[in-house]
Amino acid sequence: MMETESALEQIQYLTFQLAGEEYAIGILQVKEIIPYVTLTMVPQTPASIRGVINLRGAVVPVIDIALKLGLSPNPVTARSCIVIVETTSAAGSLIMGIIADSVSQVIDLPPQEISATPPFGTQIQIDFLRGIGRSGQKFVLVLDIDKVLGSDDDAETRTNSSGVKVTDGKARLKQSNSNHEIASA
Amino acid sequence: MEIDFEAILKTYVAECDERLAAMEEALVALEADPHNDGFLEAIFRGAHTIKGNAGSLGFPRVAGFAHAFEDLLQRFRNNSIPVTPARITLLLRSLDALREMIAAEVAGAEKVSPEHVKLQQQLTDGDAAEPMENQAAAPVPTPRDAPLIKRGAVADAVVDYATTIRVDTEKLNRMLNLAGEIAIAQGRLRQAMTVRGQSNGEALEAHSQVERLSLELQEQIMRVRMVPVGPTFRQYLRMVRDLAQGQKKLVRLETQGDEVEVDMSIIEHLKDPLTHMIRNALDHGIETPEARQARGKNPCGVLKLQARHEGGSIVIEVSDDGNGLDRAKILARGLALGMVSEAAQWSDDELYGLIFSPGFSTAAVVTDLSGRGIGMDVVKSNIEALRGTVGVHSQPGEGTSIRIQLPLTLAIIDGFGVGVGDETYVLPLHAVIECIEMPVSEQQRGALGVIDLRGAPLPYVRLRDWFGLTSPRPRRENIVVVEVDRVKAGLAVDALYGARQTVIKPLGDKFKNVRGIAGSTILGNGLVALILDVPGLMRAVMQSPRDEAAPTLAHWRGEQAAAKLANSAQSL
Repeated sequence: MMETESALEQIQYLTFQLAGEEYAIGILQVKEIIPYVTLTMVPQTPASIRGVINLRGAVVPVIDIALKLGLSPNPVTARSCIVIVETTSAAGSLIMGIIADSVSQVIDLPPQEISATPPFGTQIQIDFLRGIGRSGQKFVLVLDIDKVLGSDDDAETRTNSSGVKVTDGKARLKQSNSNHEIASA
Repeated sequence: MEIDFEAILKTYVAECDERLAAMEEALVALEADPHNDGFLEAIFRGAHTIKGNAGSLGFPRVAGFAHAFEDLLQRFRNNSIPVTPARITLLLRSLDALREMIAAEVAGAEKVSPEHVKLQQQLTDGDAAEPMENQAAAPVPTPRDAPLIKRGAVADAVVDYATTIRVDTEKLNRMLNLAGEIAIAQGRLRQAMTVRGQSNGEALEAHSQVERLSLELQEQIMRVRMVPVGPTFRQYLRMVRDLAQGQKKLVRLETQGDEVEVDMSIIEHLKDPLTHMIRNALDHGIETPEARQARGKNPCGVLKLQARHEGGSIVIEVSDDGNGLDRAKILARGLALGMVSEAAQWSDDELYGLIFSPGFSTAAVVTDLSGRGIGMDVVKSNIEALRGTVGVHSQPGEGTSIRIQLPLTLAIIDGFGVGVGDETYVLPLHAVIECIEMPVSEQQRGALGVIDLRGAPLPYVRLRDWFGLTSPRPRRENIVVVEVDRVKAGLAVDALYGARQTVIKPLGDKFKNVRGIAGSTILGNGLVALILDVPGLMRAVMQSPRDEAAPTLAHWRGEQAAAKLANSAQSL
């Protein structure tokens, strides 16, 4: 009930770049934005969990949201950020970081200006979206961050059920390693 | 001025809880020693305070009930009726009723349950006509010759509340967290100060002093979190009494080391295992008075709860002087389950340790084993979750003693830092036996392998490969030898950083399925390091698919054979 309330009141959104598209999340769920820092990897976790960071003494998981959404993640650059968000689920609220290629701006998006997600055509799963809004000339995809981060598996493991946990971790490491190579190249 | 009624109610409930617990204890003591006016007075005072407070807060029903309670005590006082076990039971049940009533009143309930009304009537009548359903015709013998607890213990328990305050544990956790943060910030500051090159003697000295002080502060905060185990132990007096009465057994609960202090989070997690073990000891360990007499024992059994410090840990022992464990039956069960291969090599205590194995106690066996196995694997896993160990010792016919060893606190461990590539991992220091250099011959192996440790085979796991890290292997590696359940194993790492005090940070729900990781900590450079759960890691390695480990083992066997040949050739 509280969630719908805040959804109604919410008109400000933070927009960020992810794999070439612009996404938005409600500003009320954003705690802060920090520069990309060195992550500590946790073995045997899904590929989308990139690791943990120290946020003023609290250990916070950092999620590669591009992988969660089934997009191919971009390499880490100087503009990469970690957006610290607070998500709510049945289990309570949780603080997590998500990796964004870059953070754009805060926009006003009253509910009437968010149109329903078209049944196809978007790159990501429909139920991860609240709708589509407009920022200037461009569309922004409004994410339902609780749903995205609340789902336990990654887009890739959903399609590929043969993955064992350990191999997941290895796949992720290869991935992040190749990212690294691209970045340094 | 606005009065915070909520806060007053909270304090009232907490105070009542404490008082009711003390009264309960005194009642059990009174039963054993009916003519002790000290116990009677203590109970009377408690009831009176509860009545008074209830009256001033506007809870007439509680006040009325407490008044009836007082009335019955008054009749004990002027010897108009004697103290009987049945009346004690009535009073104990009334305490439970008071607890419920207070909770209901605070929650704003309107009605009194009919059961409570009936109890109150019985209190007024002083009529203890078998309120317990299963009370048989034969009166339960009172352990008159065996006071349930020592005299004076109750008087000691009546604490002077004036000099203590109640603090929300959350605040203490926050303080401890901050103290940990300060320590980390100081580490960074020291690094910055020494790296600069120009050593400012005065600044460094001042910094050392700050470090010392903050360490002391941290210790003080830890100490605040420490609570004596006594009150927890005494909570079982009532349980032991009720269980013993229900089974027509005579049992005396003795506690030792009540003053031993332990972190409150540990106490909280200790209650379930203790309940389990005490119940087991009463159900199956201690015999009926007749059986005991037939064996030439005192008809009244003794259940002991002991606590003491041993090194950096606390030891809690639950022992009874009952039946003891049945070696033959445990052995038979162990053989049946394939846990034991040959009877001969197993010492008694090792064999008894099997009762903690999961799956060892199935319902059918429980009766065979005189039930001694019920849920003991749960006890063990609970204790292991607290980074503790469990052991059992038993003498047939003389009793069983279960020994639990626990760390003093869950918030800080003595850790041992190791490095793999850029990552740092922390091992609990107590698991580390020694560190050796990786033999050159092993450098090309995969994730698993076996080396020769002074003639004995030592299987090892290379953390880099096991965790799937992609950093290149260094030229020199080290092996940390750890021991889990008396089995030695090695962890191959790059660098050894040494021992350090480590503040544990939980990793959170996202990582609850990760095996081999116990938590995390924050390093001096601000990065997060994972704390390894060595037993969990070892289990995960052992359960990994055999085809990964097999080639290395086969290889190792071949090598061992070759080495043996070489040895015998030498000795020839």
